[in-house]
Amino acid sequence: MLTFIKIAWRNILRNRARSFITIAAVAAGLCALIFLKGFVDGADHQMVANYTDLFVGHIQVHKAGFQKSMGLDKSINNEETIAAVLRKTPAVAAFTPRIKEFALISSPESSSGILLIGVDPERERTVTTLHKKIRAGSFLSAGDNDKIVIGRQLAENLKVAPGDKVVIMGQAFDGSIAASAYIVAGLVEAGAEDLDKNLALITLRAAQDLFVMENRISEVAVKTHSLDDIDATAQNLRDRFGRKNFEALSWKDISPMTYQWLQFDQVFTSLILFIVLLVVAGGILNTILMGVLERTKEFGIMLALGTKPSQIIRMVAAESFFLGLAGAGLGTLAGAGIVLVCGRTGIDLSALSQALNNFYIGSVIYPLFRPVSIAVYAGIVLFLSIAISVFPAIKASRLSPIEAIRS
Amino acid sequence: MGFICAVNNVNKTYRFKGSDVETRALNDISLSIEEGGFVAIAGPSGSGKTTLLNILGGLDAPTSGSVIVDQTDLAGLNAAEMSEFRLHKIGFIFQAYNLISTLSAYENAEYVSLLQGAPKDRRLFEARQIFKDLGMEAYLKRRPTQLSAGQQQRVAVARAILARPKLILADEPTANLDSRTGSDLIDLMAVMNKTLGLTFIFATHDKMVMEKAHRLILLHDGKITQDIAQ
Repeated sequence: MLTFIKIAWRNILRNRARSFITIAAVAAGLCALIFLKGFVDGADHQMVANYTDLFVGHIQVHKAGFQKSMGLDKSINNEETIAAVLRKTPAVAAFTPRIKEFALISSPESSSGILLIGVDPERERTVTTLHKKIRAGSFLSAGDNDKIVIGRQLAENLKVAPGDKVVIMGQAFDGSIAASAYIVAGLVEAGAEDLDKNLALITLRAAQDLFVMENRISEVAVKTHSLDDIDATAQNLRDRFGRKNFEALSWKDISPMTYQWLQFDQVFTSLILFIVLLVVAGGILNTILMGVLERTKEFGIMLALGTKPSQIIRMVAAESFFLGLAGAGLGTLAGAGIVLVCGRTGIDLSALSQALNNFYIGSVIYPLFRPVSIAVYAGIVLFLSIAISVFPAIKASRLSPIEAIRS
Repeated sequence: MGFICAVNNVNKTYRFKGSDVETRALNDISLSIEEGGFVAIAGPSGSGKTTLLNILGGLDAPTSGSVIVDQTDLAGLNAAEMSEFRLHKIGFIFQAYNLISTLSAYENAEYVSLLQGAPKDRRLFEARQIFKDLGMEAYLKRRPTQLSAGQQQRVAVARAILARPKLILADEPTANLDSRTGSDLIDLMAVMNKTLGLTFIFATHDKMVMEKAHRLILLHDGKITQDIAQ
């Protein structure tokens, strides 16, 4: 066996230029795969993080049925029951209560339908990043019960600016007309059109007063320590709350379209990665085939001397393995290195910032370093380099010794 | 002493691809060669010498007729069995040496005995002994490209002998060598024949080889024209 490994190794060294090109092709292909995967994972991670951090949160807890049919009649009057469970859940980093209801906003110039959210200004900052998206004026503070923050586009439609007065109208929890005037404290620009056109925020206290909902809330928005904790935590909360009283929904349940888009993105990326893999495999196959054709006479000699066809196959496979191992090693180092460096510095795509913002992706993308993904791709490339040598190996093993020697 | 090989009514016809024209390389050949023989098969180019050697070595199959080597009927062997047969029973010495270019002289010489599973100590000991007999001790680690034609052919002889085959088939072993080197090499093989009892069959049109052989078989147009004991 050692002799075949030695011959395989020397065959690699014999045509150094061709071996170098193969190793470089495998390394470049794997490096591209690792980088592409890291980049897409980074962009997807950023999208999920931005989407959930902006407003939705990682998990929302409602009264059962709220998500299907939002309304004040499905409000929660025992917030402390939920809070007690959340405080005891290690994966939960922060949570905040909200009131959520559709309403009508009016200015002297115009009026518009809105999604009005009552928030606890201080606790909301621990769960979402809306306070960082203020483009004019300021975000709400505790006690700002006569103030309102609205979307920038909504402000343009209403032709109002910070300091102007607007009126909110809706239906209160008790069925009466809810109406109150607020001073515009700030304009929020989330980057998402639906939010910038339709969102308005007042304090939780102000919302409870407006809708006559003393001590009631619509939902609790929850932030977990990591995006990876979301699904398990949501399931854990569902188990603990029971499905009859409350619903604990992850962002995937709250925004299935966004989740589906993400899945489509993953499938599309996998397709591209598969095509890159095919190109890499083609390069290896080409090199091994060339090597076999070049050594037809040598294989003929070996067969004539009594080398078994299976031994020829093992030798060619060993050659591919060495090439694949060297290429995969270099490709892994290069790919992982680039992902690590770019993961720290980020890749500036400011030129595409408008398009990226629509998908909740920032203009600087930080590729994600995932050792398991890298190991999987390196393993696939290594396996491929051996698997695709089977055809040329069998071809070599089936040569007629006498014809091969004459070639 | 018994026969190491026997061919009976062997014919070999080649048909070239895309052509209906047939060429008859061997025409109803029958002969047997005794164990320990030192035999030369001679004749002009195209007389069928190499074809006969290839058939004896299991590298080619006859169109008809039977070939028996060391009591094995080659017609009954599949590809894997034929590999085993060549590995254990036949030693080849080719006109163009046919060494494996990536291996050293020593590694080339031990290649077949390695495939046979001979222990490393024995391979090394016997290889050194044979290289010494061949005057090649200084060239053990050299690659084929670093050796002269005569030296390469000696390595090929070492490879054939180290495998301890029943039969050594040498196809024009002196064709690419100068007369002195060629003569020395044949003398060396004669010594091996005498001391180790190895059977040698040469395909040649070198008069020196014909003269040194103990038996000379002359072929012409695929037929045996003379069979002379010397």
